[in-house]
Amino acid sequence: MSATAIIGTGQTRHSSRRDDVSQPELVREAAEAALADAAVRPGDLDAVLVANMELFEGRALPELWTGAGAFATGKPCMKVATGGTSGTSGCIAAFHQVAAGLFDLVLVVGFEKHSEGHAQTGMALTDPFWDRAVASGALGNFALSISQYVAERGVSAEQAALVAVKARRNAARNPHAHLRMGELTVAEVLSSKMLADPVRLLDMCPQSDGACAIVVASAAVARRRCRRPAWVLAAETRHEQPYIGDIDRRLVTMRTLRDAARAAYRRAGIGEPLADLDVAEIYEPVSYAELAWYEALGFCGPGEAGRLAEEGVTAMDGALPVNPSGGVLSSNPVGASGVIRVAEAALQIHGRGGERQVEGASRALATGYGVYAWADAVVLGAEGEAA
Amino acid sequence: MIVAGRVQIPFRYAAGAAASRFGVGLRDERRILGARCGGCGRVLCPPGPFCGRCGAAAGDPVAVGPGATLVAWTELPGRGTFALVRLDGADGALVHRLLEAVPEPRAGMRLRARFASERHGDIRDIEGFAAEGAGG
Amino acid sequence: MTAGAVASELLEVACPMDLGWRYASGAAMERFLAGLRERRIEALRCGGCGRRYLPPRPLCGECRLPLDDWVPVAAEGTLEAWSIYHLPILDGRTGEPRPTPYGIGLVRLDGADTTLNHLLAETDPGRLRIGLRVRAVWREELRGALDDILHFEVAP
Repeated sequence: MSATAIIGTGQTRHSSRRDDVSQPELVREAAEAALADAAVRPGDLDAVLVANMELFEGRALPELWTGAGAFATGKPCMKVATGGTSGTSGCIAAFHQVAAGLFDLVLVVGFEKHSEGHAQTGMALTDPFWDRAVASGALGNFALSISQYVAERGVSAEQAALVAVKARRNAARNPHAHLRMGELTVAEVLSSKMLADPVRLLDMCPQSDGACAIVVASAAVARRRCRRPAWVLAAETRHEQPYIGDIDRRLVTMRTLRDAARAAYRRAGIGEPLADLDVAEIYEPVSYAELAWYEALGFCGPGEAGRLAEEGVTAMDGALPVNPSGGVLSSNPVGASGVIRVAEAALQIHGRGGERQVEGASRALATGYGVYAWADAVVLGAEGEAA
Repeated sequence: MIVAGRVQIPFRYAAGAAASRFGVGLRDERRILGARCGGCGRVLCPPGPFCGRCGAAAGDPVAVGPGATLVAWTELPGRGTFALVRLDGADGALVHRLLEAVPEPRAGMRLRARFASERHGDIRDIEGFAAEGAGG
Repeated sequence: MTAGAVASELLEVACPMDLGWRYASGAAMERFLAGLRERRIEALRCGGCGRRYLPPRPLCGECRLPLDDWVPVAAEGTLEAWSIYHLPILDGRTGEPRPTPYGIGLVRLDGADTTLNHLLAETDPGRLRIGLRVRAVWREELRGALDDILHFEVAP
């Protein structure tokens, strides 16, 4: 496999309603920003990948309408859709295309306009026999799984609230973030509206309009065009059976994420994730999930995630800052969210994170989460072209 | 065994800047506003948001029509005649319908947009295209 | 950076969708659903790993083996996960909002190894905990659908 790198990133301003732009215009905003960041002209692109899901914006074939926004006219263009992982999967598909030697420059754009369709209904339109009469969307799935996680690991609502507080504190330093609430208190989280026991409003991600893009380059092009490329050290994806009642896919173990991360660490030469990684951008739609996934990602042992949050190990000034961007808890344009994780990780390697930069970051993890059925793990590095 | 049903899904769509100018022009002024491509200078109608040729964003609004030329058409039984029409001053073609007043369409024939009396700022504010000189 | 000069007014288009849908069960589900009409619940057991799948499915995702060994399952079991839902989510069958609050749970029925995702009669979080014994409450007129079980209630 040939070396591959990310040489540019770009995002829109994310918010609850971007009525000032249509879906293709939203995509264009992110695509233009990424091309400008990479100093690449639209004509230089060899191919375009679009990440998004059907039904969330109530529009058939979103890739048909948004491809032009992504400068795809006259170029190879495909959509990648794997639920919430669509964005990370789209990035991984581009890594594959470049690593295989097919293309030298690929643009990946993920987008979502939650304000226009009805995501919760989209989520409810699952298996007509087993799910439609009883399913309660992403939040319902999370709440069920969290009840098991809390019972088995003894995680407290206060520990989960610390994650929610950290996310919004970090988001205040990210000009793209949707929720820029600044400093919250644990008490504010614990007194916010109950959505589905034990998940409260401030434990949960918002629904956002937004788009994000990255420019993926082959080794030769990356060296020529980028001062400090974010090299792709590993990119792994795992699929799982879809039924939520199949007990193995609980948050407690999250074996898709665990297995994707283990494989990625092996390939990237990461022995001790907490020590070897400088920063992580993980896909956490709900505070409790971030704690559960500290375990799945090997940041700590079983039942130790709450302590990590209490001791600030994953805060901006901790040993391993998790989600300097504010994470999915602060912006969730679903189709874009996975691309945002990868873009934010690349931004850290590029050293262009501004107020949210982790000093000297040279190894970054990005993850994606798609319903219960997909998990992606991507490791980027400042060095490792030869990997 | 088969299960079946119907499902209603709420949906709204933000038209964006170029399409909004087009809709407002139709509704308030009975004017058809295309847009000049910021890259190659072609006049787009329908306006953008991007030039189909060079990919650049649509630029300033340009009034086009209401005279037009028929490019292609097809009759759909029970649904009328659908057509591609090139509005005077525009470089692309617009998908719309021919009114009954066009009994024998032919490529290159002259047409004219007929506006709806009640207009709401969408494509239906143009009722359809009639043969030039056919009135309306 | 986006299209030209700013528009004086931004338009939006409202177009709610009304979609028909139709779905074929396949043989395994058909047998399960026919069983429900007689208040009979059955799982499919994998000859490889021994896991008794409920819902039954034609293939074990772990072992990649076809399943055809039907085993009986009780209408009573253990609550393995739960929540009380407060948002008026739309019913995936109709698009109509469901009345809130309502209970949701994963129930491991006696005789099955996986759990069934279903509704709970209880809406008081103080009365629910993992490990509780629960039992199916059946619809009066059975139709051969998952909601022939209306919900699960705490067993006395």
